[in-house]
Amino acid sequence: MNIELYDVTRRFGRNVAVDGVTLDAGPGVLGLLGPNGAGKTSLLRMLATILPPSSGRLALLGRDPAKPADRREIRRRLGYLPQQLGYYPSFTVVEFVEYFALLKEVPPHLVPKAVAAAVEKVDLGPKARAKLRTLSGGMLRRVGIAQAIVNEPELLLFDEPTAGLDPEQRVAFRALIRDLGQTATVVVSTHLVEDVGAACTEVALMSNGRVVFRGTPEELIARGEAGQGVGDAPLERGYSAILAAARAAS
Amino acid sequence: MTAPDDVDLDRVWTNVAAEVWRRHPGRIERTAAKLLKSPGLARALLTTPSLLGPWLIGSTLVLAIGALVQLGANQPLVWLIAPAVAAVGIAYAYGPGIDPAWELACSCAVSDRLVLLTRAVAVFAVNAVLGMAASVATLGTAAGAHTAQLTFGWLIPMTAVCTLTLAVAVAVRSAAVGAGAGVAAWIVVVLGRGALDSTASTPGLSPSPSAGTGLAGAVTDPNLYVPYLAVAACCAAVVYYVTRPQRGAQ
Repeated sequence: MNIELYDVTRRFGRNVAVDGVTLDAGPGVLGLLGPNGAGKTSLLRMLATILPPSSGRLALLGRDPAKPADRREIRRRLGYLPQQLGYYPSFTVVEFVEYFALLKEVPPHLVPKAVAAAVEKVDLGPKARAKLRTLSGGMLRRVGIAQAIVNEPELLLFDEPTAGLDPEQRVAFRALIRDLGQTATVVVSTHLVEDVGAACTEVALMSNGRVVFRGTPEELIARGEAGQGVGDAPLERGYSAILAAARAAS
Repeated sequence: MTAPDDVDLDRVWTNVAAEVWRRHPGRIERTAAKLLKSPGLARALLTTPSLLGPWLIGSTLVLAIGALVQLGANQPLVWLIAPAVAAVGIAYAYGPGIDPAWELACSCAVSDRLVLLTRAVAVFAVNAVLGMAASVATLGTAAGAHTAQLTFGWLIPMTAVCTLTLAVAVAVRSAAVGAGAGVAAWIVVVLGRGALDSTASTPGLSPSPSAGTGLAGAVTDPNLYVPYLAVAACCAAVVYYVTRPQRGAQ
């Protein structure tokens, strides 16, 4: 298993963002669904080793991120796209992706090819030497995806990756994460249930910091048909049925 | 003309793109990479906001104006300005809201703590060189009576002010608050020491015979060197503690 969480909790003062989550995941694409404030971003930031858990046990790629040597090794094999991508406006696309390849300690002699491959994968070749300040929001999102995959990570974390992408780019991105999920563990946090249906092999649905559903997209659809979910698409009905049940239970 | 069937054109193109897009690091970056034994850390060092051209020009201008005023009006401006300029530069070297890609950098293998400390040391060194150049340029003025003390003595309070600024900035995660605290503390020390001089006729409050007079006393009074170094050591310990890799609640 590349991700192993046992009873992981994260508090910010009195607010409990992640509440006793137990979860594991191997290679494949795991969709992390949930409404705003459900704890998806906090969970993703813990998986990215940026935020330590307040309690519980967390293992990534078979290592303990609390140990400095393990954390460094995890980070070498990790790709992360935060919800808000910060960037240096004066950098070109290639310079930005190269910067993160170096920070991820990709061996220097492999960096140029790794950068070129990542930029080509997100279809930004024609803009490779463009300054980031000249790019559209969708293109910046693709730059963020390129830096996340530049080290060929075994654990990939995407927070709202399709925000700002046009429909054609979203289709291409889903194909990319399906491809990456063949060998790596890809966790995609999203509001968009159609992304989950098209690209994810498994789904975890969060509400109030807890995982209230874990299963395949087909199982999520089945819950919608059995319950009283609302929505235009089968996945939306499953999503809303589970959330309604979770709210009623709490 | 067509390519043979066994040629992977994508791979060929990636190799070509890698060569075309390859960035050639400058001499400073290559030297820093050798010294730091990390190309990633060297690249992070060269993206320090307060070591970029506009910031350095601003710092140089402030010190140059201070030197000119000192030459014209015999007021000890360079020694008083230099610690404050360096402190502000250190506060704006690294951190959330300062470095646009800070969150991403925190998920990378090159330690963000190492990036912070490397940048802080570099900013300190650059500002020390600029300050010394300005200080040496003002030698021979009436204010330069205690030449050696005035030329190099301000490095000690500068160390204290800079570490205080860094400690506050990392503790409250705000460059503005850190810079404000450092500069405010320095102003209090300078004015406080000056006020002590003005009461020199009062028995028991007289500064030591070797102490400077007026505002320069904050730099030239040897009695203050030990407290400065003690403050610097305490603040360095705070920085070390606050930036330690964490486990558990923050």
